[in-house]
Amino acid sequence: MTTTSAQTTAGASQEPGPAAGRTRRRAGPPPIARGVWPLLMPAMVVTGLLVFLPVIYTVWLSISERQPSGTNTGFVGWSNFARMFEDPQFWNSVQVTLFLFIVCLTVETVLGLALGFLLSIDVPGRRFFQGLMLVPAITAMVAVALVWLLIYDPTLGAANQILTAIGLDPVVWLGDPDIAIWSIAIVDIWQWTPFMALIIAAGIRSLPSEPFEAASIDGASGWAKARRVGLPLLMPVLSVAVLLRTVDLLRFFDTVYVMTQGGPVNSTMTLNVFGYRTAFVDQQASYAAALQLSLLLLVVVVAGFFTWWRRRLSIEY
Amino acid sequence: MSTDIVTRRRRRFAGVYLGYLIAALIFSGPVLFMWWSAFRHNVDITGSIFDITAPLTFENFTNLFDRFAFLYYIRNSFIIAGGSTLAGLVLGAPAAYVIVRRKMAGLGFLTLLARMAPGVLFVLPLFILSVNIGAPSNTALNFALLISAHLIITLPLCIWLLVPFFEDIPVSLEEAAMLDGCSVWDRFRAVVLPLVLPGLSVAVTLSFIFSWNYFLFALALANNDTLPLPVIAFNFIGQGASDYGGLMAASALISLPALILTIFAQRWLVRGITGGAVK
Repeated sequence: MTTTSAQTTAGASQEPGPAAGRTRRRAGPPPIARGVWPLLMPAMVVTGLLVFLPVIYTVWLSISERQPSGTNTGFVGWSNFARMFEDPQFWNSVQVTLFLFIVCLTVETVLGLALGFLLSIDVPGRRFFQGLMLVPAITAMVAVALVWLLIYDPTLGAANQILTAIGLDPVVWLGDPDIAIWSIAIVDIWQWTPFMALIIAAGIRSLPSEPFEAASIDGASGWAKARRVGLPLLMPVLSVAVLLRTVDLLRFFDTVYVMTQGGPVNSTMTLNVFGYRTAFVDQQASYAAALQLSLLLLVVVVAGFFTWWRRRLSIEY
Repeated sequence: MSTDIVTRRRRRFAGVYLGYLIAALIFSGPVLFMWWSAFRHNVDITGSIFDITAPLTFENFTNLFDRFAFLYYIRNSFIIAGGSTLAGLVLGAPAAYVIVRRKMAGLGFLTLLARMAPGVLFVLPLFILSVNIGAPSNTALNFALLISAHLIITLPLCIWLLVPFFEDIPVSLEEAAMLDGCSVWDRFRAVVLPLVLPGLSVAVTLSFIFSWNYFLFALALANNDTLPLPVIAFNFIGQGASDYGGLMAASALISLPALILTIFAQRWLVRGITGGAVK
């Protein structure tokens, strides 16, 4: 809509003759859409105050130096960012964040496809089962983290009791720096795989049947149909699910903060938790602001990449 | 021939149900475990998980209310989640209407962007603001701040959820109202709004759950009088590490509203959490 009118205006300034006919197309929105702006204003103002102002303030914090006492000693240029790039803790937290992102997203997508396929099959009781699969995603993160804290308890936890019962050695789930990050990943995979599956199942159910019939006539096997016909057709829906998970995974906070607080030895210190602790435990507001802006940048870049990738897909199919 | 098809169908069903059973065990297991533990004596929780005949108790729950004044924190959660849901709806419904009528797809994307921003980014400025206006020591101000903070979650969510509902309303109804001389506001209030009531109930439900479950803002901004459930449950970890029964009872209470709503509003929930990705 905007681009059309912009082009028309540009054309009008260059060649006045034929533009007369075009200006009628600029007549604007239909009558019922006129004068509706006042209804949008309150939301705009509130969004500006609550979303944009804090971001701008964070930018200011990151290029100035706020003391723990609350006074701000003023502009310091890029020093907070320079410090960030030299801080091994920062790079560690980037690594942890990306590790969790890649592991969780991969497993959730693969398992989600399998479970989603299962959920898309029409059998009596499907709806009930679908409701059951909603439960992990809708349960408060804090409650989820607390339950898994009990499950992971090294001596009396359910996980180790089950391992012992089937003859395996108990595992120090959250106390071992090499294992803790996997334990955290398991919780996220547990909580969000069904969510992926629900989106994928709905996607599968809305697929047209013709391409599959055509593939059957060509003699394609069930697997080939799923892989070569189903998956490409499913891509638009799958990419939405992947995008939603991506955004949440890069902001990984609640589970880690409740279960390990970033430990042991910073092995689960995601960028988000690191930023929070820098602000509220170490009381370094300006450095924390720089960290949080880098997290925002990471989210925007990765989400932007997925959006671009999605556009390309939708052109192809 | 036909019996052959029936058996094959049955065999296929059996496979699907086996898959369902395994998935249900894995994905609802920990939640069931939470509820079960909430009703067990602490002695049994610290014992074997295979001891399913041990007697159950309400003690964990009664303890929460008697010793930790849990009712007070439930009230706090209701104030914060209720307030931010109401505000999100009052601001979001007219905004969603304008977005649909003016076909502002870009703004819809902007609300998605607000969903993407890390909550931590907002917490620090809000915290500094709260210190400057003296919110940490003022209960009413603290509630107002928490409700505003949660509005960052509920407002984009409300808009996002309501847009498809407004899209379904035919323009002709409004045109008729306009011919009768209705103003924009009257048209919105008297013609459009009653038609999106189902949408409003969806938005209320989901905003409430999202706000109720949200942890980060209250963790940083609440004072002792305004703590909502997730934060008080988190604080329990330090206080009584061995009181797993209490922790599980608290977790069960936190997840109760969402669980109830899953039972009654399942269809909408799928749409809501997937953010309209799937209709």
